Amino acid sequence: MNINVNNKTITTDAANLSALAQELSLPEKGVAVAIENKMVPRTLWEQTPLEEGTSVVIIKAACGG
Amino acid sequence: MIQFISHFTEQHTYLDSIRLALEGGIKWVQLRMKEASEEEFLSVGTEVRRLCNQYGATFIIDDHVELVHKLKADGVHLGKNDMPIIEARRILGNNVIIGGTANTFEDIASHYQATANYIGCGPFRFTTTKKGLSPTLGLEGYRSIMQKVKEAAIDIPVVAIGGITAEDIPGIMQTGISGIALSGAILRAENPIEEINRILKYE
Repeated sequence: MNINVNNKTITTDAANLSALAQELSLPEKGVAVAIENKMVPRTLWEQTPLEEGTSVVIIKAACGG
Repeated sequence: MIQFISHFTEQHTYLDSIRLALEGGIKWVQLRMKEASEEEFLSVGTEVRRLCNQYGATFIIDDHVELVHKLKADGVHLGKNDMPIIEARRILGNNVIIGGTANTFEDIASHYQATANYIGCGPFRFTTTKKGLSPTLGLEGYRSIMQKVKEAAIDIPVVAIGGITAEDIPGIMQTGISGIALSGAILRAENPIEEINRILKYE
């Protein structure tokens, strides 16, 4: 499926946010994620499903420019 | 996506303001205490770190690169007169979120090059919360800046800041902006918690 990460379309099989974080190798610390403009704490990533067209904003350290 | 920036009034201290924001459901806070001593900043910051852990919130501090590790902050926000982002990155390493203040597309592009992780772009309109403001942007300013960001394929979250109230949020979110930073609007409300609820509904 296609989702939107920081205004860029990417293709992923990740069913939830936790799987996406793994796929994108998000670090353990220094990362904040919002789904449809709502910030989601890390403890809820596993139970936050991704669907076609979901809009994700990731603020993460370690790969800025 | 809302970032709350600490502020104080006659009724509320910096710490009160952050506690209110977290109680209201905001998950991203920035501790900004422009005129505080390092000692004060450390003491309030330690408590903010504890509260952010409790609420599962992301904790950014303003300006104080040297206190990021001491406070175990998730990141630091650097304004126009603070340390350059590239230098802060060298000191802090890759596991820290660095945000930068921008007023133009050129600012955003240069912060992005310097490895910033998000941008606070503004001011949206004139505000009394911050001194020494850059020219105000309005909706048209954001639209034009975000168009250029898109054309340049710069994939960095841009947060609008400066004099924004709950009613402004839907319009701003239409311009391609990723989130909103708020400070004064919440504390100036008669009932800050109700105001936060209104804001979180709009976002």
